[in-house]
Amino acid sequence: MLRLTDVHKSFGELVVLDGISLEFQQGLTTAIIGPSGTGKSVLLKHLVGLTHADSGTVECFGVDMARASEREIYSVRRRFGMLFQDGALFDSMSVGENIAFPLVHHEKELSAAQRMERVEQVLEEVELPGFSTRDTTALSGGQRKRVGLARAIIHRPEVVLFDEPNSGLDPMTSDAIDALILRMKERLGVTFIVISHDIVGVMNVADQVGMLHGGHLIAYGPPSELVHNPHPMVRRFLGRNLALPKGTDDPTTLPSLKLHR
Amino acid sequence: MSRSSQNTARLTPMVSLGRFGLFILRFIRESIRRPPPPGRTLAEAYAVGVAALPVLIVIAAFVGTNLAIQGYTAFQPIGGQRMVGLFVALTGVREFGPIIAASMVAAKSGTEMASQIAVMRIRDQIDALEVMAVQPHWYLVTPRLLGILLAMPAVTTLSTFTMVSAAYFVSVYQLDLSGATFMEFALSATSPIDLVVSNVKALLFGAVICLVSCYNGFVSAPGPEGVGASTNRAVVLSAVSCVILNYLISEAIY
Repeated sequence: MLRLTDVHKSFGELVVLDGISLEFQQGLTTAIIGPSGTGKSVLLKHLVGLTHADSGTVECFGVDMARASEREIYSVRRRFGMLFQDGALFDSMSVGENIAFPLVHHEKELSAAQRMERVEQVLEEVELPGFSTRDTTALSGGQRKRVGLARAIIHRPEVVLFDEPNSGLDPMTSDAIDALILRMKERLGVTFIVISHDIVGVMNVADQVGMLHGGHLIAYGPPSELVHNPHPMVRRFLGRNLALPKGTDDPTTLPSLKLHR
Repeated sequence: MSRSSQNTARLTPMVSLGRFGLFILRFIRESIRRPPPPGRTLAEAYAVGVAALPVLIVIAAFVGTNLAIQGYTAFQPIGGQRMVGLFVALTGVREFGPIIAASMVAAKSGTEMASQIAVMRIRDQIDALEVMAVQPHWYLVTPRLLGILLAMPAVTTLSTFTMVSAAYFVSVYQLDLSGATFMEFALSATSPIDLVVSNVKALLFGAVICLVSCYNGFVSAPGPEGVGASTNRAVVLSAVSCVILNYLISEAIY
């Protein structure tokens, strides 16, 4: 369904992706982790055609995104929903108008009342009932993420992308967002791709985890395998992010880490 | 936010011009494919027309008063003070009306367009439009261009009218000239074609201001500095483009 094959991407001298090959499995939640600046968001942007690989192929729903016409790319994008880091909400619109935006443009047969009904439904799903008339500028960081998520799922996409869903959130709100992602995953049964450097959150929501470093995918597999991965960068990243006590190098032994399965 | 847009400030003028050309081509292609987003064109026209109005009226009025005074000062030594009406009408209708309206719209609406789009760029809202399969050139630029094209002739006509009226009042009540003579010379110096040319200029200036401002918003570098720089670039380039275009049109027609 979504496949990257030997993808290379550089910005000037800076090599961001150096031969990445990866297939996202349908119906599963795949998380891509790694330190800041390792190209996680760039990888995500390749999937929706916001940027194109220097070489290699990015195939989404059978469409080669580098060779596709703009019309084909837009057609592929309608099968995606995406939660941006800050929600990317339009401040000139209310919460309800933001969420209804994809419906206004792509499901024109719906009446205003039907659109509002769908908006209220997804607001219930993201636990913000009655928020449709609120001003987006008055929302907290966590609420913005929820509204962004509501907008990302209102058109019932086949793939939902999450770009740093926990960034800028306090630990409690961050946990609440993870719990929400888990519930969405069970309820929607669609493919989730999560970009994050919040290792605890990722371990809780992901079926597969890949780690990017230096332009390479240095680890890939279920979370239970990743925590035993011997790659020094993986050990370092897991240890630092999970704040392992001195002498501990196995994050699964920590009581604070509750793996999803 | 791509690195290419982050580096826009460092691009050579030729590359920037090429990108601007591509931006316009893309915008034209998207705009002719489908009607503008519903309900937004009139809102943009209202915003352009009303936003610039108070400052435009004040500036046009005081430019008019000074045209009358300077015209009087220039013509009085040779006994030609009756020609103040001619001078004001010629310069006001043909040149100052459109260029002052363009300057005010560039300063008010152009900067607003550039900064709004730049903020959308740095907050990933343009990427969000793309991911929601809504073409951003069509969604953001088309209604703004149509709005400014609807508003500019009205704003320019109002600017010219205010300027000539202010000049009339100064000529009659301060400089003791005859109102009838002022009007006679003013009408003899201008023809309906001047008003047509003035409005053609207004439309072209509006298009230039909108496209230059929106483009600079689209290619904004990240952060508050990026937004400030793109807004600044938008107003400077719009103003310079308009005065050069004004000269070229006047040179070709008069």
